[in-house]
This record gives sequence, C-alpha cells and structure tokens, in this order.
Amino acid sequence: MSAETRFAGVPAARSVPSHAIPQGSQFAGLYIREVLKTFRNPFVLVITVVQPFMWLAFFGSSFSQVPLSELDLLLHAQIQSYLQFLLPGTLSTSMLAIGMFGSMSTIQDKRFGFMKRILITPTSKATVYLTKALGSTTRGLVGIPVMVGAALLFGVHINGDPLLWAGWIASLALLGFGFCCLFLAITASSTDWQTPGVISNFITMPLMFASGALFPSANFPTWMQYIADFNPVSYAALFGRDIVLSGTAHWIYLGYVALFAGAMVAIGTLVASRYLKVE
Amino acid sequence: MAPDAIVTQGLTKHYGKLVAVDHVDMRVPSGSVFGLLGPNGAGKTTIIKVLTGLSDITEGEAAVAGYDVRRDPMHVKQNVGWVAAEVILDDDLSGWENLWLQAKLQRLDNWKDRAEALLRYFSLGDRRKDKVGTYSTGMRKKLEIALALLHQPQVIFMDEPTIGLDPSTRHMLWELIRGVHTEFGISVLLTSHYIEEADALCDLISIIDHGRFVATGSPTELKAKVKADLIDLETVEAVDEARFRAIPGVSDVRAQGKGWILRVSSAEEVLPRLLATLRADGIRRINVEKPSLETVFLDVTGRRIGQDEGEVLDYRKFYAQMRRARR
Repeated sequence: MSAETRFAGVPAARSVPSHAIPQGSQFAGLYIREVLKTFRNPFVLVITVVQPFMWLAFFGSSFSQVPLSELDLLLHAQIQSYLQFLLPGTLSTSMLAIGMFGSMSTIQDKRFGFMKRILITPTSKATVYLTKALGSTTRGLVGIPVMVGAALLFGVHINGDPLLWAGWIASLALLGFGFCCLFLAITASSTDWQTPGVISNFITMPLMFASGALFPSANFPTWMQYIADFNPVSYAALFGRDIVLSGTAHWIYLGYVALFAGAMVAIGTLVASRYLKVE
Repeated sequence: MAPDAIVTQGLTKHYGKLVAVDHVDMRVPSGSVFGLLGPNGAGKTTIIKVLTGLSDITEGEAAVAGYDVRRDPMHVKQNVGWVAAEVILDDDLSGWENLWLQAKLQRLDNWKDRAEALLRYFSLGDRRKDKVGTYSTGMRKKLEIALALLHQPQVIFMDEPTIGLDPSTRHMLWELIRGVHTEFGISVLLTSHYIEEADALCDLISIIDHGRFVATGSPTELKAKVKADLIDLETVEAVDEARFRAIPGVSDVRAQGKGWILRVSSAEEVLPRLLATLRADGIRRINVEKPSLETVFLDVTGRRIGQDEGEVLDYRKFYAQMRRARR
C-alpha cells in the first residue's frame, strides 16, 4: 500500500517478526542511553572523582589521633589504619544511594513525556525498569576504581588476589543493583521530583549506620545488631573487609548479597510492570 | 480492499468517576487522514492513549493496524508512530542518536539508510550530529515526525501536531503532513482544536465533545449538514428571544454568553429584517457566518470551540495587567 516513491531503492527497515517481542534490542538501547546521559554530564564526572577523596580525607581522618592499638580494640580487627578498615564499608554505603539517580532519571522521563515515547514502542515496563536500575548501578560502579585509587594514594594497603577482588566488585555491583531495584520499585508510581531525595534519606541513613560498614556491629546495642544481621550492606562490607585486611573471603556473604539482589529484582520487576506510571 | 486502519466499538475510558471517552465508535479507513476535532479536555488525547496501549481501555473494543489493542498491545506498538503535542525528544542526544534509539526500541535491522533518507527528506542532514536541544521548534517537530516514520508504521497518531507553533511553522508543518501522507501512504489519526487545520488536512473528521462523537463525515459533508447561515450578535439593550423567533427565516435561536446565535435560512434575506427589528435596541456587535466547520461545531455542541477556555484567557489578561501595573 505504501507508495514511498522518493524512498524507492532505499532498503526497508523491517521489524524482526516475533510473537513474544523479545526485549534485547530495547534493553541495549535504553541502557546505552542511560550511560551516555550520565557520562556526558561534566558535573557527574567531577563529583565521581572528587567525592571519594573527600570521604576518605574527612571521615578517614576522624580517628587519626587515636593510637593504633586502641583502634584495634575498638574495631575488633588488626588494622594498618582506620582508612583500611573504612574503605570496604565506604564503598558499600556508596552503593546505597545510587538508586536515587535511576529514580530521578525515571521521574524526569515521566515529566518530560519521554516515558510515553518509550512505551509507544514494543518495550515492556520491566525493560524500562531494569535498564534504569542497571544504568544507576553502572554509575555507582565507576566510583569504585576512583575510591580504591584514592585509598592507595592515602597509603592504604589492600590484600588479596584478582579473584578475591573480582568477588568484592561483584558483591558491590549486586548490592548496588539490589538497592536500585528497591528504590525504583518504591518510586515506580511517583512523578514528584522530591520523592527520590526523601526516600534516599529514609533508606540510606538507618541502613548505613545499622551495618558493620563504618564501625563493627559488635559495639552496637542488641536491637541495632539485629538490623545489622539482616542488612545486606553489612555483608558486602564484611566481605570486602576480610579481603582488604587479611586476603581471605567468606563467600557466603557474597551469596547473601546475591540473594538480596535476586529478591529485589524479582519484586521490583513485578511492581514496575504493574505500577510504573507513564506520566 | 485494505482493512480499516483503526476500528473501535463502544470505546470507553474512565479516570475514576470522570468519563474521558464515552462509547466511541470509530472507523478510520486505511490510507486516510482522520481528524478528531474538539476543544481541550474533549477526550482527543485520551483516545490516542488507549489506542496506542499507553492507557487501559475501561470498556469496549479497539483494533489498530489489524491488532486487538487489549490483547496484543505490543504488536499495535510495532505498527504505529506517534507525534506528540509537546515535542518529545531526548535533548541530550543528537538527532542521529534519537533515530538510533528509536531503531533500537522498534528492533530494526538496516535502519541507517532509511534514517539518512528521512533526514534528507526533512532537511535535517546537516544537523544530524548536533544535540537536539540546539534545534529550533520546527526542526524538532520534523525530527519527531522522522522518528514516527522510521519503522514504517501503518498508522501515525499526531496529537495536536501544530499546537503552540507560529503561523509560518504551522503552515510548513501542514505541508509536511500532507507530504508524509502522500509520500508514505500512511493512515493518520490527527487531533486538533484548530478548525482550519482539520479542514485543510483531514479526509474525515469526527467532532468530539465531552468524550462523545457528536458528528462524523468529510469536511464537505459536515458543512452540508448545517444547511444554514449563522448570525452571531450582541445587543445594547436586553432583547426577548421571542422577537428573534418572530423574524421570518430564523429557524433557531440560542443564547451565547451575552449575545445570541441565530440560525437562518439565508443571512442575505434575514439580515435586513433583523436590522429593522432591532433598530431601537442598538446592535453592539454582529457577525455573519457561512457554513464552515466552526458553524458545524457550534451547531452540534451549542458552543464555540475554545469557548470554555475563555476564563483561562481572562486570567492571562489579568496577570498581564498585573505585570504592567508593577512596572
């Protein structure tokens, strides 16, 4: 029926025929869009580099006047410096807040109408949701080499081998992905710019302090220890800390974080498929 | 004969207690430009949302491009294009990257040659690498239409495509829409509240008011239905409706704000009688309208298109006066 006389000789762009409409192409397109948008923003790049230095410089120096032997007693570990203890915990807590970016990006797409443009194509809400979560996780992961590099510059010694380090990065990636999924599920139906910030504060603060990321949970009151025992941030931090301090790993901790990520992605996908608003 | 591009039966959409679309039966012949003409809030955009699967259907049936919208929305989406009222593009990406993303979302192979051809057709080839945020409004509209055409859809939905544009850009877009329809042979469902736009572009028009279709036909058929001239007037002194009705040739009288709308067999014959009748009362304003889509709308709804937005315009005037007063 289509005349398209001026387009004679131009190869037709055909959709791949399918009944189930696979989502691979849409997934790749939306994920690459997320990554491009993030890393084309100069402020994101500057903050990604500067923030780890600030964390380590300010927070890492908070016990600099305390003798090492007293720190060992306080932190229940044989450490070279508080920075060495802090590094895995800081990386874990940095993964807590990254879901906020995916959530803000989703709300931006809703408010500017781009979500409609996406969803008037054969793209499922679950695909949109997962690409946002993965995009945010990628953004969070970029901070890891920067922070590790900063720690090395501050004189921190990191034990372990490439296999253990790969496991450590995997634990952080899974933790970040899990929290991104949780974050996006909570804000799936929101179109308010303020929501991600409020939810971030609500989630980040208690989970950061009620974990073994910054201080050992053995020092906590009993009720906080219960929270820390369930908190996946604790396990990602402990997994990394064992590697950094002694070059050993409790792989069960990685398993726990993977379980958390799996549960979050399953719940989040269901929630987003049902409640992700178009505008 | 090709099947209809869009068919609906009893299509209804509720938002809570609000009935946005009320039992709409529609048949859009393949290859035609079908216009939905109605004021803001009449339900035009809602119809597009439910037909594209963006919003669930509350009641009724709809098929687009041969696919059932309820049961097979993904295949509907594979076969439709969309041009939004507000231009919706990713401003952080270039024109080419927007096309690339559309190709990924529509799962296209060998899309680059077609994208190149579309950019040439819309005279955007030179700016393809520039971020869309730097494009003029006209260029953005053109790119949006190119996106809608990239995957060779069977139906394109154009939701108020020229709203907010200056007259010259609007006319340029009219030419483009006519060209796209002729060149690509695609069925177009176009919504508008600009009467002259619907008249200029559409083969068939449905007038929609409060979610219901109140008249459907070609522009010529609709105008022929009125079979009357309208006289729109406002008098200085209050006039009894019975005085208008007593004038030979006046078939209907309606109050319209502070004035009156008279439906007459022939304005040329009735006007001298009317002026003679109202000589003593004084006429503040009088306007004669020959059959047009405007008079059709007035005839079937009892209101002028955009009349309900008068209060908003008054607020704008009010705020403009406030700003001037502050200076």
